[in-house]
Amino acid sequence: MTEATMVRPVTRGSSSSAVAESDADRDHDANRARPSKNFLPSAGRSLLIYAALPVVAGALLFADTGTSISGILAYFPSATVDVSYSFLRMLAAYALSLGFSLAYGYYAATHRGGERVMIPVLDILQSVPILGFFPFAVAVLAAATPGSFLGPNFASVFLIFTSMAWNMVFGVYESLKTLPGDLKEAADTFGLRGYLLFRRVLFPATVNRLVYNSVLSWTAGWFFLVEAEIFTTNNSNALQGIGSYLSFAASASNGGKFLAGIIVLVVVIALLDFAVWRPLGHWAERFRYDQAPAGDTGEIAPGRDASGRFRRATSFVTRGVRTGVSRITVPFVQLAAITVRPGRVSSARRKSVIYYLSLGSILVVVWLLLIALVVAVIGVYTAPIQGSVRAQIAMVPLAIGASTLRVVAAYAICLAIALPLAMHIARSSRANRVGLPIIEVIASFPATALFPVIIFQLLPYLSPNGAAVLMLMTGMMWYLFFNILSGIRSLPPDLVEAARAYGLKGRKFFRRVLLPGIFPALITGSVTAFGGGWNTLIVAEYLSVGSGQSLSVLGVGQLIDIGNGLGQTGYALMATALFALVGTVIAINELIWKPLYRRAATQYRYD
Amino acid sequence: MALIRVEHLNKSFASRHGSISIMQDISFEVTDSDFLAIVGPSGCGKSTLLRLIQGLDHPTSGQIFFRDQPVDKVCSQMAMVFQSFALFPWLTVSQNVAFGLEALGWPAERIGPQVERYVTVTGLDGFQEAYPRELSGGMRQRVGLARALAVEPAVLLMDEPFSALDPLTAESLREEVLQLWRDPQLPPEAVLLVTHNIEEAIELADRVIVLSRRPGQILAQVAVDLPRPRARKSAAFYDLTDRVYSLITQGGTALAAGARAEGAGHTG
Repeated sequence: MTEATMVRPVTRGSSSSAVAESDADRDHDANRARPSKNFLPSAGRSLLIYAALPVVAGALLFADTGTSISGILAYFPSATVDVSYSFLRMLAAYALSLGFSLAYGYYAATHRGGERVMIPVLDILQSVPILGFFPFAVAVLAAATPGSFLGPNFASVFLIFTSMAWNMVFGVYESLKTLPGDLKEAADTFGLRGYLLFRRVLFPATVNRLVYNSVLSWTAGWFFLVEAEIFTTNNSNALQGIGSYLSFAASASNGGKFLAGIIVLVVVIALLDFAVWRPLGHWAERFRYDQAPAGDTGEIAPGRDASGRFRRATSFVTRGVRTGVSRITVPFVQLAAITVRPGRVSSARRKSVIYYLSLGSILVVVWLLLIALVVAVIGVYTAPIQGSVRAQIAMVPLAIGASTLRVVAAYAICLAIALPLAMHIARSSRANRVGLPIIEVIASFPATALFPVIIFQLLPYLSPNGAAVLMLMTGMMWYLFFNILSGIRSLPPDLVEAARAYGLKGRKFFRRVLLPGIFPALITGSVTAFGGGWNTLIVAEYLSVGSGQSLSVLGVGQLIDIGNGLGQTGYALMATALFALVGTVIAINELIWKPLYRRAATQYRYD
Repeated sequence: MALIRVEHLNKSFASRHGSISIMQDISFEVTDSDFLAIVGPSGCGKSTLLRLIQGLDHPTSGQIFFRDQPVDKVCSQMAMVFQSFALFPWLTVSQNVAFGLEALGWPAERIGPQVERYVTVTGLDGFQEAYPRELSGGMRQRVGLARALAVEPAVLLMDEPFSALDPLTAESLREEVLQLWRDPQLPPEAVLLVTHNIEEAIELADRVIVLSRRPGQILAQVAVDLPRPRARKSAAFYDLTDRVYSLITQGGTALAAGARAEGAGHTG
């Protein structure tokens, strides 16, 4: 979905009656009502790219296995069935996320006491690489519901929910907290309350962020769903879905089957884009706060539509960050929530019984979960641990180091690609017109779908570590790219002009203006990229399907997978590897990212 | 009859540095058919005063009465017009104007004609289905005005309503507000206008309350007896403007000398 499809609705009432306004007013209204861009060409362009994807993929990957068209067609029915299963999981997870984010975000935004707990909790939750827990969840649930299909499916739906929900919650929370003060006062002054307040003010304020974040959530969701489904092929619990379908196809070197699966997946994603997201995006435009100045001050110079550029920038900001969309603002929000606001008269709203009841029951549930977790962990470690497993547990520190190295390496390569690419796209309008739609379509396609090919077909040509790093890159690249791009685009144009006026060019411009200017966006992109990397580990480091190639490199993901394969005896290994992973992530968060955020908040802000 | 009585109003905020006093001992009355302007330097609490009167906020001490009833929650007989227009971007002009009526629980059949009436009165006919982002500043403030008038308030509260507009639009809107106030068949009965523009206050109001720097106290209540329409270029107008201006700039010294209600025409 490109911003070029956002046509401003042209609504003017009958303009026949004479209205008492100056001529300047009338001209300005005419200017505003002009639609900004034409819908069709970019939609058509996206369609072409969607169509080109499988063709290119097929040509590249199966050039030598003489697959025929009829061969591919024969697999369409089974591919469609499997894609439908995946789609149903996505739908269930999305419905859960939507309900959760509306409730949680609204609650956190309107209850000061709750906010102090709920937002830091989310902060922690969203930095936990949830995919690491997936094997554990599947194992537990499969043991609890033997033979049934419910266990792994619940686990996968819950997993997708966690990859979708956090950024949507933050979207709701932030849009409510940044509701303009004068709108709040207007609602108060006219006595708007309850359902009417929700319908006329609170819900519309969240629509914009919800729609954009839904798009991002689905993109992330596809990625992790396919990854989860691929992972389940490691043992007998294979979830029927596109991920397992592609895995089996690739391990059997069945080019026709694989291509059929890719094509169906692309069709579904393209359908969603055209039939759901674009219309929703059009509708959501209505809920934007107008950025253009009121009144007739300032001509809009031809070719430099300031409000248009800002619009594009904001749309990229919201679109480019996938999970944890508010990474940059969460520290601000938390700081703001802590500082004392002078003069805020404590509202006369008495805390109702319902408030205390719900808060109490939530606390009770959380306590019970924590206790269950502790009991489970104790149970795992007090059970006798086999010698072989013990030996593997001893490798955990080494494994953490290896995994971290791989993620860092993948990050470095992504940065080396994303930075110049983003700069090029931002600078050249031609690259922007041609390249950006391509990148957007590619980014909306789950790269994990290609993992089976990378593992089973390309492994002979890449070292195992190389393949692992390549797969990690696919999970990190777009977070980094879109954030950097939005950072470059939201550089205040007057700062750039000032730099040029003083003759700053090339490397100096890069060092003194560009890099500091995009610093916050760079941090956001890096944090989310690392998050994506951690989450890709369990498939990037270990995969073994059927009789084809298998991948196994020393790392945390690998150990988790091995432990998973050992069944009950492997629980201790899984748990240890998992704790090590979570501990590392939190440590890096606290020691590296948070201080960098603080610097971004103080030194690199634009006000 | 005094529509609004403000008695010994004090307002202070708690902050890291202790208590900050915004307003001290503010007392005045608003009768019906009053057009009252409140002027003062920035930070003197004029906007806060307006919110206290409407009931959006609570004073630290002192009382506010509307028709002899204490104001302890938002008073539905007063309506506010905002400096930044405060229109909801996702509602059309009609829906924005209907906003207060919906909140009051009016049935849909009554809301329609009422909205039409005030849309026409404020010169918005033809723009009912437009969204605020398609309107210029002057039109947006008209929507704000229509929204306030639609609930037929006894008192119209205006918080620097013209300061975000260009001078020409502001001038035509001022005239419209005057006409609406003078029309006995249209609300409001009284208007309370907060502004930092002294000429605007003298042009529109019968009485100008001059506030001092923070903590805001009433320096003087200046009566404006000039006949309307008021000529900005007349000597009497200049005198009044001068008087108010010097009151504000001398601030504390005027207080020390004792605040006296002064009529128009006095010089020096």
